[in-house]
Amino acid sequence: MARKSSKIYRWPSPFVVLLMTAFLGACATPPGPPTPQDGEVEARVREPARQDSEGIQVFPLQNPAVKELLADASAAEQTGDYGQAASYLERALRIQPRDPEILQSMAEVQLQMRDYGQALNFASRSYDIGPRVGEICSRNWRTISVSREHLGDHPGSVEAEKKAAVCMNTKPRGL
Amino acid sequence: MSKRKKKTTARRKKTNRKQPRRWFAKIWRLGLLLAGIFLGLMVPWVMYLNYQVTTEFEGRKWDLPSRVYARALDIYPTALLSRSNLELELKAAGYRASRQPSLPGLYSVSGNTVEIHRRSFRFHDGEEESIRFRVKISGEKVSSVTGLPGGRSLDLVRLEPAEIASIYPLQKEDRTLINIEQAPQLLVTGLQAVEDRNFKHHPGIDLRGILRAAYANLKAGRAVQGGSTLTQQLVKNYFLTHDRTMARKFNEAIMALLLEAHYDKSEILEAYLNEVFLGQQGAYAVHGFGQASLYYFDQPMERLEPHQIALLIGMVRGASYYNPRRHPERARGRRNQVLSMFAETGLLSESEAKKQAALPLAVTAEPRTRGTRYHAFVDLVRRQLAQVYKEEDLRTEGLRIFTTLSPSVQEKAQAAVSGGLRQLETRGLSASLQAAMVVADVATGEVQGLVGDRNPDRAGFNRAIHARRQIGSVIKPLVYLLALEHSRDYSLVTRIQDTPLSLQQPDGSTWSPSNYDNQSHGAVTLLEALTRSYNQATVRLGLNIGVEHLVNRIEQLGVRADIDPVPSIFLGAVELTPLEVTQIYQSIAAGGFSVPLRSLIAVQTADGDELVRYPLRMLPQPNRDAIAVLNYALTQVVEQGTAKALPGLIGQDRTIAGKTGTTNDRRDSWFVGYTRNQVAVTWVGEDDNRPAGVTGSNAAMRLWAGLFRELPNESVDLRMPDGAYWLWVDGNSGLLTLEDCDGAIQVPFVDGSGPSETTACMSALQDDEESFWRKLLGKKKQ
Repeated sequence: MARKSSKIYRWPSPFVVLLMTAFLGACATPPGPPTPQDGEVEARVREPARQDSEGIQVFPLQNPAVKELLADASAAEQTGDYGQAASYLERALRIQPRDPEILQSMAEVQLQMRDYGQALNFASRSYDIGPRVGEICSRNWRTISVSREHLGDHPGSVEAEKKAAVCMNTKPRGL
Repeated sequence: MSKRKKKTTARRKKTNRKQPRRWFAKIWRLGLLLAGIFLGLMVPWVMYLNYQVTTEFEGRKWDLPSRVYARALDIYPTALLSRSNLELELKAAGYRASRQPSLPGLYSVSGNTVEIHRRSFRFHDGEEESIRFRVKISGEKVSSVTGLPGGRSLDLVRLEPAEIASIYPLQKEDRTLINIEQAPQLLVTGLQAVEDRNFKHHPGIDLRGILRAAYANLKAGRAVQGGSTLTQQLVKNYFLTHDRTMARKFNEAIMALLLEAHYDKSEILEAYLNEVFLGQQGAYAVHGFGQASLYYFDQPMERLEPHQIALLIGMVRGASYYNPRRHPERARGRRNQVLSMFAETGLLSESEAKKQAALPLAVTAEPRTRGTRYHAFVDLVRRQLAQVYKEEDLRTEGLRIFTTLSPSVQEKAQAAVSGGLRQLETRGLSASLQAAMVVADVATGEVQGLVGDRNPDRAGFNRAIHARRQIGSVIKPLVYLLALEHSRDYSLVTRIQDTPLSLQQPDGSTWSPSNYDNQSHGAVTLLEALTRSYNQATVRLGLNIGVEHLVNRIEQLGVRADIDPVPSIFLGAVELTPLEVTQIYQSIAAGGFSVPLRSLIAVQTADGDELVRYPLRMLPQPNRDAIAVLNYALTQVVEQGTAKALPGLIGQDRTIAGKTGTTNDRRDSWFVGYTRNQVAVTWVGEDDNRPAGVTGSNAAMRLWAGLFRELPNESVDLRMPDGAYWLWVDGNSGLLTLEDCDGAIQVPFVDGSGPSETTACMSALQDDEESFWRKLLGKKKQ
């Protein structure tokens, strides 16, 4: 559960204090100092996926409304406002719940917020309904790999990494 | 000290007698003494008044009801949105139809084009300015959105959410806070023009005003003007006594001076705008212009026209005396008097004031039913809020609560339930039948509508959340899901026995389930047994799988219920609420990506700072390949099974998945169904659980159809995930075949569960192996 600091005009009532305690505890991303993990999404998911996919891009046609929201989300992500980015992506998912690109972007934002469980889930969903080939597929598996690693599933992580490589040279099943 | 005083006095007496000049000094000293006593008493008194008035000012200013908002409607090209639903949404958000939507809050309709002037609004994720745009709708989809003026095409725009409920402070005051910066200019200046022209300059009391009032009253021979400043009136409003004693007036004046010393003019004026008493609705006092505007005109303040502002300002003098609903003529006179003051002070031109004075009062005949519009849904919201907030905070902190409710879905769901039950009466069912309905977004788990009673205005027992009823055959798909998860043993074409059986119950009695048609159907496929809801086959299948597995699976799907693990649960001897059943089917409809159902999106402070957000969270189910196969089977319930009548009732060509449910002696009727977009659960029965003559398809399914007839929707997605695929098989033998062979049907299989043997027809064509593979794989459904 994400929360932001609240400004209340009256002196903090017990209610606010209660809330702060309750939600600080549940806070998914305490804004901490940069750690070696910062930049992980770019370095371990997006960049290798871009390299993998040179020449084979599979992009579903995108609704302009979704495009706008994805751009907003990306901008929010760049300023480090991951909560706001997630909010834009959620709105995009309301419009196109089965868009693998939105789901994968959400997975990456979850990765940024270090919610590895949710990152894994969104990436799996994206893969399930996505093209299962090309750049998105590669980002799906790379996200799954990084998440599994953080969740302590080392063999699973290695396996996912291998699957990412296969995104580029195997036709998806059934085509 | 007293000695010295005595001495002095004695000496003075002496000198007094001798020198009459000292009289003056004596009076002077007496005066000083009296002044000292006066001050000695006054300082604590003023301090006391100071304490009283500042406490009141600080405290009362912030006692605000919390507001509950529906979800904001996204409008974009390709959005599924019919014109009637758009109009419902607009009305719910308080929009008025007009020929020219020149002001925010107005809209116009011409054919399939709707022009909307959206108000500015602070959404949960940011503030947006007002915007005018045109929406073209063709069929059930938005075809274009263009900004006005200019006609620039817009990719995405949203309507501000409807306000669906308020949670009020206990002192029974209703208030919609208005901000001085956002208050209409005419209200701010007009109020001063009418009540206190010197407001900007006086220190709390206005001597010139008092003199002017006195002169005017003298001239008229009666009290025609008051000399109270707005500050004094604010003080008077705080303590709500209207006695006109001198002492009261004196206290008021002191407190007014004190307020002015502590706070600046705009704070005082803002407090006044929100504090002044402007009417009484039942037990609730209407305070402030923001609320009065809603109460009398059903419009937010910023959308009032000059004559409406004039009426409200005029009512300051006596809210009940000038009550426009009870004394329209008197109110009209007062309004026009105010309008002429507007003209006199240059706030309106003469001609505009005249034009406004000719307009009708425009007060709504009845104030909107106070508080909550959608009781059942708001009940769910409050339940979820109660996990975090104390009741008192909800009543006083003025929280902004953003929910997932879709007003158009809610209205149509309620209409489908109320109208559907009335129709069932004409088909011979009881008029005392009750029903519940839950509608949620498949992918996000957002509850879009919730009906808890056939009567929308009744706020009592909320059946959608609280009615625990046996779910009957609605449970069966889970038994088949468990079978499909055992992919080595079962596929949809595996045959099982639908034959009589008897089971020893824990209490020693024998249980012999029978089918709805009292027949046994022999060897049937899983698909047939599920789509036709055969009891005997289901119990046999369930026994092979194990009753504990079913109990565990229900929990895994997101419902924690106290379930007795006995074989009768295979036929739905499990009591669940409609909301819980919706949770289970959300998981299935979303292909195994469970999302906890939620009614809340975010909660903010009155100033728009986020307190908590309820983000979308996914909890994937195991064996999603089996869930995908089950999805197909449930579309067959609608296509050829117990819900066969559904497409006819809906009258639209799209793939729907569903399941009917009926319980013993026809006490409960259930229907669960979903499309790609929405999942909805309907229950019909009697509150006291007596036999009601209802079946899944004769009652609940009809209500469900009544809703989905009205909702734009898309077909269920039948694409298989990794681990499941489509094959052509022979409908009778279940053997692998080719599309061109007789009796070929296409069925999805979990990986490894497909048949290996082929039909004769297929074998004949197997000569050309290459051609075979190409055909087989090429025929897969997308």
